[in-house]
Amino acid sequence: MIQFLVEPLTYDFIVRGILAAVIVGITCGVIGCYVVLKSLAFMGDALAHAILPGVAVAYLLSFNLLIGALAAALLVALGIGYISRRGDLREDTAIGILFAGSLALGVALISSIRTYAVDLNHILFGNVLGVSNQDLMIVTILAMVVISTILILYRAFLLISFDTILARTLFLPVEALRYLLLVLLALTIVISLQTVGIGLVTALLVTPAASAYLVTRRLPAMMVVSASVGAFSGILGIYLSFYLGVSSGAAIVLVATTIFFLAFLFAPQRGLIWQRRRS
Amino acid sequence: MTQDHSTLFAEPARLVFEEVTAGYGQNSVLKEISLEIPQGLHVAVVGPNGAGKTTLFKTLVNLLPVWSGRILIHGKPFGQHQDCIAYIPQRGEVDWRFPVTVEDVVMMGRYAKTGMYRRPNTRDHEVVRNCINRLGILPNAGSRINELSGGQQQRIFLARALAQEPHILLMDEPFTGIDFTTQETILEIVDSLREAGVTVMVATHDLNLASEHFDRVILLNHELVAYGKPNEVMTRENIRNAYGNHVMIMDGVAVVDHCCPPGDEMDEL
Repeated sequence: MIQFLVEPLTYDFIVRGILAAVIVGITCGVIGCYVVLKSLAFMGDALAHAILPGVAVAYLLSFNLLIGALAAALLVALGIGYISRRGDLREDTAIGILFAGSLALGVALISSIRTYAVDLNHILFGNVLGVSNQDLMIVTILAMVVISTILILYRAFLLISFDTILARTLFLPVEALRYLLLVLLALTIVISLQTVGIGLVTALLVTPAASAYLVTRRLPAMMVVSASVGAFSGILGIYLSFYLGVSSGAAIVLVATTIFFLAFLFAPQRGLIWQRRRS
Repeated sequence: MTQDHSTLFAEPARLVFEEVTAGYGQNSVLKEISLEIPQGLHVAVVGPNGAGKTTLFKTLVNLLPVWSGRILIHGKPFGQHQDCIAYIPQRGEVDWRFPVTVEDVVMMGRYAKTGMYRRPNTRDHEVVRNCINRLGILPNAGSRINELSGGQQQRIFLARALAQEPHILLMDEPFTGIDFTTQETILEIVDSLREAGVTVMVATHDLNLASEHFDRVILLNHELVAYGKPNEVMTRENIRNAYGNHVMIMDGVAVVDHCCPPGDEMDEL
Protein backbone atom coordinates (compact mmCIF):
# COMPACT_ATOMS: atom_id res chain seq x y z
CA MET A 1 0.00 0.00 0.00
CA ILE A 2 2.74 2.42 1.02
CA GLN A 3 4.67 1.33 -2.04
CA PHE A 4 1.52 2.11 -4.08
CA LEU A 5 1.34 5.63 -2.68
CA VAL A 6 5.04 6.45 -2.70
CA GLU A 7 6.16 5.09 -6.04
CA PRO A 8 4.69 7.88 -8.22
CA LEU A 9 6.23 10.48 -5.93
CA THR A 10 9.73 9.38 -6.93
CA TYR A 11 9.16 11.19 -10.21
CA ASP A 12 9.62 14.95 -10.07
CA PHE A 13 7.11 15.67 -12.81
CA ILE A 14 4.44 13.76 -10.93
CA VAL A 15 5.10 15.68 -7.72
CA ARG A 16 4.77 18.94 -9.69
CA GLY A 17 1.62 17.60 -11.31
CA ILE A 18 0.05 16.71 -7.98
CA LEU A 19 0.94 20.11 -6.53
CA ALA A 20 -0.60 21.87 -9.53
CA ALA A 21 -3.72 19.69 -9.40
CA VAL A 22 -4.20 20.37 -5.67
CA ILE A 23 -3.76 24.13 -6.05
CA VAL A 24 -6.10 24.24 -9.03
CA GLY A 25 -8.62 21.98 -7.29
CA ILE A 26 -8.73 24.23 -4.24
CA THR A 27 -9.04 27.44 -6.27
CA CYS A 28 -11.73 26.04 -8.56
CA GLY A 29 -13.55 24.65 -5.54
CA VAL A 30 -13.69 28.02 -3.80
CA ILE A 31 -14.71 30.20 -6.73
CA GLY A 32 -16.89 27.37 -8.03
CA CYS A 33 -19.27 28.08 -5.14
CA TYR A 34 -20.12 31.42 -6.75
CA VAL A 35 -20.26 29.78 -10.19
CA VAL A 36 -22.88 27.35 -8.89
CA LEU A 37 -24.82 29.87 -6.78
CA LYS A 38 -24.87 32.61 -9.40
CA SER A 39 -25.45 30.24 -12.35
CA LEU A 40 -22.18 31.18 -14.03
CA ALA A 41 -21.48 27.72 -15.50
CA PHE A 42 -22.05 28.87 -19.08
CA MET A 43 -19.87 31.91 -18.45
CA GLY A 44 -17.08 29.65 -17.15
CA ASP A 45 -17.28 27.37 -20.16
CA ALA A 46 -17.26 30.37 -22.50
CA LEU A 47 -14.24 31.94 -20.82
CA ALA A 48 -12.39 28.65 -21.09
CA HIS A 49 -12.94 28.43 -24.84
CA ALA A 50 -12.32 32.12 -25.36
CA ILE A 51 -8.70 31.86 -24.21
CA LEU A 52 -7.71 29.81 -27.25
CA PRO A 53 -6.73 32.77 -29.48
CA GLY A 54 -4.66 34.19 -26.61
CA VAL A 55 -2.79 30.91 -26.31
CA ALA A 56 -2.23 30.81 -30.07
CA VAL A 57 -0.90 34.35 -30.21
CA ALA A 58 1.38 33.69 -27.24
CA TYR A 59 2.70 30.59 -29.01
CA LEU A 60 3.35 32.53 -32.24
CA LEU A 61 5.20 35.25 -30.35
CA SER A 62 6.82 32.62 -28.08
CA PHE A 63 5.46 34.07 -24.85
CA ASN A 64 4.49 31.95 -21.89
CA LEU A 65 1.15 30.42 -22.92
CA LEU A 66 -0.44 31.23 -19.56
CA ILE A 67 0.14 34.93 -20.10
CA GLY A 68 -1.57 34.85 -23.51
CA ALA A 69 -4.46 32.89 -22.02
CA LEU A 70 -4.77 35.37 -19.19
CA ALA A 71 -4.94 38.38 -21.52
CA ALA A 72 -7.60 36.75 -23.71
CA ALA A 73 -9.71 35.63 -20.76
CA LEU A 74 -9.69 39.08 -19.19
CA LEU A 75 -10.63 40.75 -22.48
CA VAL A 76 -13.53 38.39 -23.03
CA ALA A 77 -14.77 38.58 -19.41
CA LEU A 78 -14.86 42.37 -19.55
CA GLY A 79 -16.33 42.32 -23.07
CA ILE A 80 -19.21 40.10 -21.97
CA GLY A 81 -19.91 42.33 -19.00
CA TYR A 82 -19.78 45.43 -21.19
CA ILE A 83 -22.01 44.18 -24.01
CA SER A 84 -24.69 42.84 -21.68
CA ARG A 85 -24.72 46.00 -19.53
CA ARG A 86 -24.74 48.43 -22.41
CA GLY A 87 -27.15 47.01 -24.94
CA ASP A 88 -30.52 45.35 -24.90
CA LEU A 89 -28.89 41.91 -25.13
CA ARG A 90 -29.15 39.40 -22.33
CA GLU A 91 -25.97 38.14 -20.77
CA ASP A 92 -26.20 34.59 -22.14
CA THR A 93 -26.51 35.98 -25.67
CA ALA A 94 -23.45 38.18 -25.17
CA ILE A 95 -21.59 35.14 -23.85
CA GLY A 96 -22.65 33.04 -26.85
CA ILE A 97 -21.41 35.62 -29.34
CA LEU A 98 -17.99 36.26 -27.79
CA PHE A 99 -17.44 32.62 -26.86
CA ALA A 100 -18.01 31.26 -30.36
CA GLY A 101 -16.26 34.15 -32.10
CA SER A 102 -13.22 33.88 -29.90
CA LEU A 103 -13.03 30.11 -30.25
CA ALA A 104 -13.23 30.45 -34.05
CA LEU A 105 -10.42 32.99 -33.99
CA GLY A 106 -8.37 30.59 -31.90
CA VAL A 107 -8.94 27.67 -34.27
CA ALA A 108 -8.14 29.86 -37.28
CA LEU A 109 -4.86 31.00 -35.73
CA ILE A 110 -3.87 27.52 -34.66
CA SER A 111 -4.73 25.92 -38.00
CA SER A 112 -2.15 28.27 -39.55
CA ILE A 113 0.55 26.79 -37.32
CA ARG A 114 1.27 23.33 -38.72
CA THR A 115 3.49 21.96 -35.98
CA TYR A 116 1.01 22.73 -33.27
CA ALA A 117 -1.21 19.67 -33.26
CA VAL A 118 0.24 17.98 -30.17
CA ASP A 119 0.17 21.13 -28.06
CA LEU A 120 -3.40 21.85 -29.10
CA ASN A 121 -4.38 18.51 -27.66
CA HIS A 122 -2.78 19.53 -24.37
CA ILE A 123 -4.65 22.80 -24.33
CA LEU A 124 -7.96 21.13 -25.00
CA PHE A 125 -7.57 18.30 -22.50
CA GLY A 126 -4.77 19.33 -20.18
CA ASN A 127 -1.33 17.91 -19.52
CA VAL A 128 -0.81 18.17 -15.80
CA LEU A 129 2.27 15.95 -15.94
CA GLY A 130 3.98 18.47 -18.22
CA VAL A 131 3.86 21.32 -15.70
CA SER A 132 7.19 23.16 -15.55
CA ASN A 133 8.62 24.88 -12.49
CA GLN A 134 7.80 28.25 -14.02
CA ASP A 135 4.20 27.14 -14.68
CA LEU A 136 3.88 25.93 -11.11
CA MET A 137 5.06 29.27 -9.81
CA ILE A 138 2.58 31.24 -11.94
CA VAL A 139 -0.23 28.88 -10.91
CA THR A 140 0.63 29.31 -7.23
CA ILE A 141 0.76 33.10 -7.41
CA LEU A 142 -2.52 33.44 -9.33
CA ALA A 143 -4.25 30.95 -7.02
CA MET A 144 -3.17 32.97 -4.01
CA VAL A 145 -4.48 36.16 -5.62
CA VAL A 146 -7.86 34.56 -6.35
CA ILE A 147 -8.35 32.89 -2.98
CA SER A 148 -7.20 35.83 -0.87
CA THR A 149 -9.42 38.25 -2.82
CA ILE A 150 -12.42 36.00 -2.24
CA LEU A 151 -11.63 35.73 1.47
CA ILE A 152 -10.98 39.45 1.94
CA LEU A 153 -14.11 40.49 0.04
CA TYR A 154 -16.20 37.64 1.47
CA ARG A 155 -19.06 39.82 2.75
CA ALA A 156 -19.16 42.02 -0.34
CA PHE A 157 -19.38 39.02 -2.68
CA LEU A 158 -21.93 37.37 -0.39
CA LEU A 159 -24.12 40.49 -0.49
CA ILE A 160 -23.98 41.10 -4.24
CA SER A 161 -24.79 37.43 -4.85
CA PHE A 162 -27.54 37.01 -2.28
CA ASP A 163 -29.23 40.39 -2.01
CA THR A 164 -28.29 43.13 -4.49
CA ILE A 165 -30.75 45.57 -2.93
CA LEU A 166 -29.08 45.46 0.46
CA ALA A 167 -25.70 45.70 -1.25
CA ARG A 168 -26.76 48.93 -2.98
CA THR A 169 -28.39 50.25 0.18
CA LEU A 170 -25.02 49.85 1.93
CA PHE A 171 -23.35 51.75 -0.96
CA LEU A 172 -21.30 48.80 -2.21
CA PRO A 173 -19.92 49.23 -5.76
CA VAL A 174 -22.08 46.38 -7.08
CA GLU A 175 -21.05 46.63 -10.75
CA ALA A 176 -17.34 46.80 -10.00
CA LEU A 177 -17.61 43.79 -7.71
CA ARG A 178 -19.40 41.84 -10.45
CA TYR A 179 -16.58 42.57 -12.88
CA LEU A 180 -14.04 41.61 -10.25
CA LEU A 181 -15.72 38.25 -9.76
CA LEU A 182 -15.55 37.66 -13.54
CA VAL A 183 -11.88 38.60 -13.57
CA LEU A 184 -11.18 36.16 -10.71
CA LEU A 185 -13.08 33.50 -12.65
CA ALA A 186 -10.92 34.21 -15.70
CA LEU A 187 -7.74 33.87 -13.61
CA THR A 188 -8.97 30.56 -12.21
CA ILE A 189 -9.71 29.20 -15.66
CA VAL A 190 -6.27 30.16 -16.89
CA ILE A 191 -4.53 28.25 -14.11
CA SER A 192 -6.83 25.27 -14.70
CA LEU A 193 -5.75 25.14 -18.32
CA GLN A 194 -2.85 22.82 -17.78
CA THR A 195 -4.51 20.40 -15.40
CA VAL A 196 -7.80 19.64 -17.13
CA GLY A 197 -7.74 21.74 -20.28
CA ILE A 198 -10.33 23.92 -21.94
CA GLY A 199 -12.75 21.08 -22.53
CA LEU A 200 -13.09 19.99 -18.92
CA VAL A 201 -12.50 23.08 -16.81
CA THR A 202 -16.22 23.64 -16.27
CA ALA A 203 -16.31 20.30 -14.47
CA LEU A 204 -13.76 21.50 -11.89
CA LEU A 205 -15.70 24.74 -11.40
CA VAL A 206 -19.12 23.18 -11.04
CA THR A 207 -18.86 19.59 -9.81
CA PRO A 208 -17.04 19.99 -6.46
CA ALA A 209 -19.14 23.05 -5.56
CA ALA A 210 -22.37 21.26 -6.46
CA SER A 211 -21.35 18.27 -4.33
CA ALA A 212 -20.56 20.61 -1.43
CA TYR A 213 -23.90 22.42 -1.83
CA LEU A 214 -25.69 19.12 -1.22
CA VAL A 215 -23.95 18.34 2.07
CA THR A 216 -23.57 21.76 3.75
CA ARG A 217 -25.85 24.47 5.14
CA ARG A 218 -23.68 27.58 5.02
CA LEU A 219 -21.43 29.22 2.46
CA PRO A 220 -18.13 29.00 4.42
CA ALA A 221 -18.64 25.26 4.95
CA MET A 222 -19.60 24.87 1.30
CA MET A 223 -16.33 26.54 0.27
CA VAL A 224 -14.22 24.32 2.51
CA VAL A 225 -15.90 21.10 1.38
CA SER A 226 -15.80 22.16 -2.26
CA ALA A 227 -12.09 23.00 -2.06
CA SER A 228 -11.41 19.63 -0.38
CA VAL A 229 -13.32 17.74 -3.06
CA GLY A 230 -11.36 19.64 -5.72
CA ALA A 231 -7.99 18.89 -4.10
CA PHE A 232 -8.83 15.23 -3.44
CA SER A 233 -10.01 14.75 -7.04
CA GLY A 234 -6.70 16.19 -8.23
CA ILE A 235 -4.60 13.79 -6.12
CA LEU A 236 -6.63 10.65 -6.76
CA GLY A 237 -7.00 11.53 -10.44
CA ILE A 238 -3.25 11.67 -10.92
CA TYR A 239 -2.70 8.36 -9.10
CA LEU A 240 -5.34 6.75 -11.31
CA SER A 241 -3.72 8.30 -14.34
CA PHE A 242 -0.34 6.87 -13.26
CA TYR A 243 -1.55 3.35 -12.60
CA LEU A 244 -4.23 2.97 -15.26
CA GLY A 245 -2.53 5.02 -17.97
CA VAL A 246 -5.55 7.22 -18.65
CA SER A 247 -5.45 10.95 -19.40
CA SER A 248 -4.85 12.86 -16.17
CA GLY A 249 -7.43 15.61 -16.84
CA ALA A 250 -10.13 13.10 -17.57
CA ALA A 251 -9.23 11.03 -14.50
CA ILE A 252 -9.46 14.12 -12.23
CA VAL A 253 -12.87 15.06 -13.60
CA LEU A 254 -14.16 11.48 -13.34
CA VAL A 255 -13.17 11.33 -9.66
CA ALA A 256 -15.02 14.61 -9.02
CA THR A 257 -18.07 13.37 -10.91
CA THR A 258 -18.12 10.15 -8.87
CA ILE A 259 -18.00 12.17 -5.65
CA PHE A 260 -20.90 14.29 -6.90
CA PHE A 261 -23.07 11.24 -7.56
CA LEU A 262 -22.23 9.83 -4.12
CA ALA A 263 -23.38 13.14 -2.59
CA PHE A 264 -26.44 13.23 -4.83
CA LEU A 265 -27.45 9.79 -3.60
CA PHE A 266 -26.34 9.75 0.02
CA ALA A 267 -26.33 13.37 1.23
CA PRO A 268 -28.23 13.72 4.51
CA GLN A 269 -31.63 15.41 3.96
CA ARG A 270 -31.06 16.47 0.35
CA GLY A 271 -29.79 13.13 -1.04
CA LEU A 272 -32.02 10.91 -3.16
CA ILE A 273 -31.89 7.94 -0.77
CA TRP A 274 -32.62 10.09 2.27
CA GLN A 275 -35.66 11.62 0.60
CA ARG A 276 -36.91 8.22 -0.55
CA ARG A 277 -36.70 6.80 2.95
CA ARG A 278 -38.52 9.74 4.43
CA SER A 279 -41.44 9.64 1.99
CA MET B 1 -53.22 54.39 19.38
CA THR B 2 -52.05 57.57 17.72
CA GLN B 3 -50.19 59.81 20.14
CA ASP B 4 -49.72 63.50 19.91
CA HIS B 5 -46.20 64.16 18.77
CA SER B 6 -46.62 67.87 18.22
CA THR B 7 -43.93 68.57 20.83
CA LEU B 8 -41.44 66.85 18.59
CA PHE B 9 -41.92 69.53 16.00
CA ALA B 10 -39.76 71.74 18.19
CA GLU B 11 -36.81 69.52 17.28
CA PRO B 12 -35.01 69.90 13.99
CA ALA B 13 -36.57 67.88 11.21
CA ARG B 14 -34.76 64.64 10.63
CA LEU B 15 -35.83 63.76 7.11
CA VAL B 16 -36.42 66.48 4.53
CA PHE B 17 -37.44 66.26 0.89
CA GLU B 18 -36.87 69.48 -1.06
CA GLU B 19 -38.68 69.48 -4.42
CA VAL B 20 -37.53 65.93 -5.15
CA THR B 21 -38.17 64.66 -8.68
CA ALA B 22 -37.22 61.09 -9.66
CA GLY B 23 -38.28 58.31 -11.99
CA TYR B 24 -37.29 55.58 -14.45
CA GLY B 25 -35.93 56.10 -17.94
CA GLN B 26 -37.76 59.07 -19.44
CA ASN B 27 -40.72 59.01 -17.06
CA SER B 28 -40.71 61.01 -13.89
CA VAL B 29 -42.73 59.21 -11.24
CA LEU B 30 -42.26 61.65 -8.38
CA LYS B 31 -42.75 65.32 -9.14
CA GLU B 32 -41.36 68.01 -6.87
CA ILE B 33 -42.11 66.36 -3.57
CA SER B 34 -41.40 68.61 -0.60
CA LEU B 35 -42.01 67.49 2.97
CA GLU B 36 -40.39 67.25 6.39
CA ILE B 37 -40.65 64.27 8.71
CA PRO B 38 -39.53 64.95 12.30
CA GLN B 39 -37.59 62.21 14.05
CA GLY B 40 -39.58 59.37 15.55
CA LEU B 41 -42.86 59.84 13.71
CA HIS B 42 -44.60 56.89 12.13
CA VAL B 43 -45.74 57.76 8.65
CA ALA B 44 -47.94 55.80 6.26
CA VAL B 45 -47.38 56.38 2.56
CA VAL B 46 -50.58 55.79 0.59
CA GLY B 47 -51.73 56.36 -2.94
CA PRO B 48 -52.93 54.42 -5.97
CA ASN B 49 -50.79 51.79 -7.71
CA GLY B 50 -47.94 53.44 -9.58
CA ALA B 51 -48.26 56.66 -7.59
CA GLY B 52 -44.57 56.55 -6.61
CA LYS B 53 -44.61 54.98 -3.14
CA THR B 54 -41.81 52.54 -3.96
CA THR B 55 -39.98 55.21 -5.96
CA LEU B 56 -40.00 57.49 -2.92
CA PHE B 57 -38.32 54.76 -0.83
CA LYS B 58 -35.80 53.89 -3.52
CA THR B 59 -34.53 57.47 -3.69
CA LEU B 60 -33.82 57.17 0.04
CA VAL B 61 -31.65 54.06 -0.21
CA ASN B 62 -29.41 54.64 -3.22
CA LEU B 63 -31.52 52.49 -5.58
CA LEU B 64 -32.65 55.43 -7.72
CA PRO B 65 -30.96 58.76 -8.34
CA VAL B 66 -32.74 61.98 -7.50
CA TRP B 67 -33.18 63.97 -10.73
CA SER B 68 -33.61 67.32 -9.10
CA GLY B 69 -34.20 68.69 -5.64
CA ARG B 70 -32.46 67.14 -2.65
CA ILE B 71 -32.91 64.89 0.32
CA LEU B 72 -31.52 65.83 3.72
CA ILE B 73 -31.11 63.33 6.53
CA HIS B 74 -30.39 64.80 9.94
CA GLY B 75 -29.78 68.05 8.08
CA LYS B 76 -27.00 66.57 5.95
CA PRO B 77 -27.16 65.74 2.25
CA PHE B 78 -28.07 62.21 1.26
CA GLY B 79 -25.19 59.74 1.17
CA GLN B 80 -23.38 60.90 4.29
CA HIS B 81 -25.28 58.51 6.53
CA GLN B 82 -24.75 55.07 5.14
CA ASP B 83 -26.00 53.13 8.11
CA CYS B 84 -29.03 54.96 9.36
CA ILE B 85 -31.75 53.82 6.94
CA ALA B 86 -33.04 50.24 6.80
CA TYR B 87 -35.19 49.25 3.84
CA ILE B 88 -37.44 46.22 3.54
CA PRO B 89 -38.45 45.81 -0.11
CA GLN B 90 -41.87 44.65 -1.19
CA ARG B 91 -40.93 41.11 -2.10
CA GLY B 92 -37.81 39.56 -0.73
CA GLU B 93 -35.84 39.79 -3.96
CA VAL B 94 -33.20 37.41 -2.71
CA ASP B 95 -32.03 34.01 -3.85
CA TRP B 96 -33.89 31.63 -1.52
CA ARG B 97 -31.71 28.65 -2.44
CA PHE B 98 -28.59 30.42 -1.20
CA PRO B 99 -26.76 28.50 1.56
CA VAL B 100 -27.35 30.97 4.38
CA THR B 101 -29.09 30.51 7.72
CA VAL B 102 -31.58 32.90 9.30
CA GLU B 103 -28.80 34.04 11.61
CA ASP B 104 -26.49 34.74 8.62
CA VAL B 105 -29.14 36.89 6.94
CA VAL B 106 -29.88 38.91 10.08
CA MET B 107 -26.13 39.37 10.62
CA MET B 108 -26.00 41.05 7.20
CA GLY B 109 -27.96 43.86 8.84
CA ARG B 110 -24.98 44.38 11.13
CA TYR B 111 -22.67 44.94 8.13
CA ALA B 112 -24.03 48.49 8.18
CA LYS B 113 -22.22 48.87 11.53
CA THR B 114 -19.27 46.49 11.21
CA GLY B 115 -18.41 47.39 7.64
CA MET B 116 -17.16 44.77 5.24
CA TYR B 117 -14.15 43.62 7.25
CA ARG B 118 -14.51 43.84 11.05
CA ARG B 119 -15.41 40.57 12.73
CA PRO B 120 -18.79 40.58 14.50
CA ASN B 121 -18.19 41.05 18.24
CA THR B 122 -20.24 39.83 21.19
CA ARG B 123 -22.60 42.77 20.92
CA ASP B 124 -23.26 42.13 17.22
CA HIS B 125 -24.14 38.52 18.02
CA GLU B 126 -26.33 39.66 20.93
CA VAL B 127 -28.23 42.14 18.76
CA VAL B 128 -28.77 39.49 16.10
CA ARG B 129 -30.11 36.89 18.57
CA ASN B 130 -32.28 39.55 20.16
CA CYS B 131 -33.83 40.66 16.86
CA ILE B 132 -34.49 37.07 15.79
CA ASN B 133 -36.12 36.46 19.15
CA ARG B 134 -38.35 39.54 18.86
CA LEU B 135 -39.74 38.17 15.61
CA GLY B 136 -40.43 34.82 17.29
CA ILE B 137 -38.22 32.77 14.99
CA LEU B 138 -35.41 31.97 17.42
CA PRO B 139 -36.00 28.21 17.10
CA ASN B 140 -35.26 28.63 13.38
CA ALA B 141 -32.12 30.73 13.84
CA GLY B 142 -29.88 27.97 12.50
CA SER B 143 -32.20 26.89 9.68
CA ARG B 144 -31.43 27.48 6.06
CA ILE B 145 -33.79 30.19 4.83
CA ASN B 146 -35.58 27.97 2.31
CA GLU B 147 -36.72 25.72 5.15
CA LEU B 148 -38.99 28.44 6.57
CA SER B 149 -42.62 29.21 5.75
CA GLY B 150 -43.68 32.34 3.86
CA GLY B 151 -44.66 34.30 6.97
CA GLN B 152 -41.44 33.32 8.74
CA GLN B 153 -39.42 34.41 5.70
CA GLN B 154 -41.04 37.87 5.87
CA ARG B 155 -40.02 38.05 9.53
CA ILE B 156 -36.36 37.41 8.69
CA PHE B 157 -36.20 40.68 6.81
CA LEU B 158 -37.79 42.72 9.59
CA ALA B 159 -35.34 41.10 12.01
CA ARG B 160 -32.48 42.08 9.72
CA ALA B 161 -33.74 45.66 9.47
CA LEU B 162 -33.94 45.86 13.28
CA ALA B 163 -30.39 44.51 13.55
CA GLN B 164 -29.27 47.50 11.50
CA GLU B 165 -30.43 49.66 14.44
CA PRO B 166 -31.65 52.27 11.94
CA HIS B 167 -32.85 55.79 12.65
CA ILE B 168 -35.27 55.47 9.75
CA LEU B 169 -37.07 52.26 8.80
CA LEU B 170 -38.73 51.97 5.39
CA MET B 171 -41.18 49.13 4.75
CA ASP B 172 -42.74 48.67 1.33
CA GLU B 173 -46.14 46.94 1.50
CA PRO B 174 -45.17 44.74 4.47
CA PHE B 175 -48.74 43.54 4.99
CA THR B 176 -49.33 42.19 1.49
CA GLY B 177 -49.70 38.44 1.29
CA ILE B 178 -48.89 37.58 4.89
CA ASP B 179 -50.91 35.80 7.54
CA PHE B 180 -52.80 37.67 10.26
CA THR B 181 -50.44 36.65 13.08
CA THR B 182 -47.42 37.93 11.20
CA GLN B 183 -49.22 41.22 10.49
CA GLU B 184 -49.98 41.63 14.20
CA THR B 185 -46.38 40.80 15.13
CA ILE B 186 -45.07 43.35 12.64
CA LEU B 187 -47.47 46.05 13.88
CA GLU B 188 -46.51 45.41 17.50
CA ILE B 189 -42.83 45.66 16.71
CA VAL B 190 -43.30 48.82 14.66
CA ASP B 191 -45.22 50.35 17.58
CA SER B 192 -42.45 49.37 19.99
CA LEU B 193 -39.97 51.35 17.88
CA ARG B 194 -41.60 54.56 19.16
CA GLU B 195 -39.66 54.22 22.41
CA ALA B 196 -36.40 54.13 20.50
CA GLY B 197 -37.42 57.21 18.50
CA VAL B 198 -37.11 55.40 15.17
CA THR B 199 -38.81 57.13 12.26
CA VAL B 200 -40.92 54.59 10.38
CA MET B 201 -42.31 54.96 6.87
CA VAL B 202 -44.66 52.25 5.64
CA ALA B 203 -46.10 52.09 2.14
CA THR B 204 -49.51 50.47 2.21
CA HIS B 205 -52.68 50.36 0.17
CA ASP B 206 -54.76 49.80 3.30
CA LEU B 207 -56.12 53.29 4.04
CA ASN B 208 -57.82 52.19 7.25
CA LEU B 209 -54.67 50.63 8.64
CA ALA B 210 -52.87 53.84 7.71
CA SER B 211 -55.28 55.99 9.74
CA GLU B 212 -55.35 53.69 12.73
CA HIS B 213 -51.69 52.94 13.30
CA PHE B 214 -49.76 55.97 12.05
CA ASP B 215 -49.07 59.52 13.25
CA ARG B 216 -48.92 61.03 9.79
CA VAL B 217 -50.09 60.08 6.33
CA ILE B 218 -48.45 60.97 3.03
CA LEU B 219 -51.01 60.82 0.24
CA LEU B 220 -49.19 60.51 -3.04
CA ASN B 221 -50.16 60.50 -6.68
CA HIS B 222 -46.92 61.45 -8.47
CA GLU B 223 -47.27 64.78 -6.73
CA LEU B 224 -47.82 65.23 -3.02
CA VAL B 225 -51.62 65.36 -2.66
CA ALA B 226 -51.66 65.80 1.11
CA TYR B 227 -49.44 65.30 4.16
CA GLY B 228 -50.47 65.58 7.78
CA LYS B 229 -52.37 63.84 10.56
CA PRO B 230 -54.59 60.99 9.35
CA ASN B 231 -57.88 62.81 9.99
CA GLU B 232 -56.64 65.88 8.13
CA VAL B 233 -55.36 63.91 5.15
CA MET B 234 -58.09 61.31 4.79
CA THR B 235 -60.76 63.65 3.65
CA ARG B 236 -63.21 62.75 0.94
CA GLU B 237 -61.78 65.45 -1.27
CA ASN B 238 -58.10 64.49 -0.89
CA ILE B 239 -58.80 60.83 -1.46
CA ARG B 240 -60.85 61.57 -4.53
CA ASN B 241 -58.02 63.78 -5.80
CA ALA B 242 -55.54 60.96 -5.43
CA TYR B 243 -57.62 57.96 -6.42
CA GLY B 244 -60.18 59.46 -8.79
CA ASN B 245 -63.25 57.27 -8.97
CA HIS B 246 -61.49 54.19 -7.72
CA VAL B 247 -62.43 54.76 -4.11
CA MET B 248 -65.66 54.77 -2.14
CA ILE B 249 -66.01 56.05 1.38
CA MET B 250 -68.70 54.29 3.36
CA ASP B 251 -69.29 55.11 7.02
CA GLY B 252 -65.81 56.56 7.33
CA VAL B 253 -64.21 53.43 5.85
CA ALA B 254 -62.39 53.90 2.58
CA VAL B 255 -62.72 51.12 0.02
CA VAL B 256 -60.23 51.27 -2.85
CA ASP B 257 -60.77 49.49 -6.15
CA HIS B 258 -57.35 48.10 -7.05
CA CYS B 259 -58.65 46.13 -9.98
CA CYS B 260 -58.02 48.51 -12.83
CA PRO B 261 -55.72 51.28 -11.69
CA PRO B 262 -55.23 54.24 -13.97
CA GLY B 263 -51.76 54.47 -15.51
CA ASP B 264 -50.37 51.08 -14.58
CA GLU B 265 -47.29 50.26 -12.52
CA MET B 266 -44.05 52.13 -12.96
CA ASP B 267 -42.80 50.91 -9.63
CA GLU B 268 -40.56 48.17 -10.94
CA LEU B 269 -36.82 48.18 -10.41
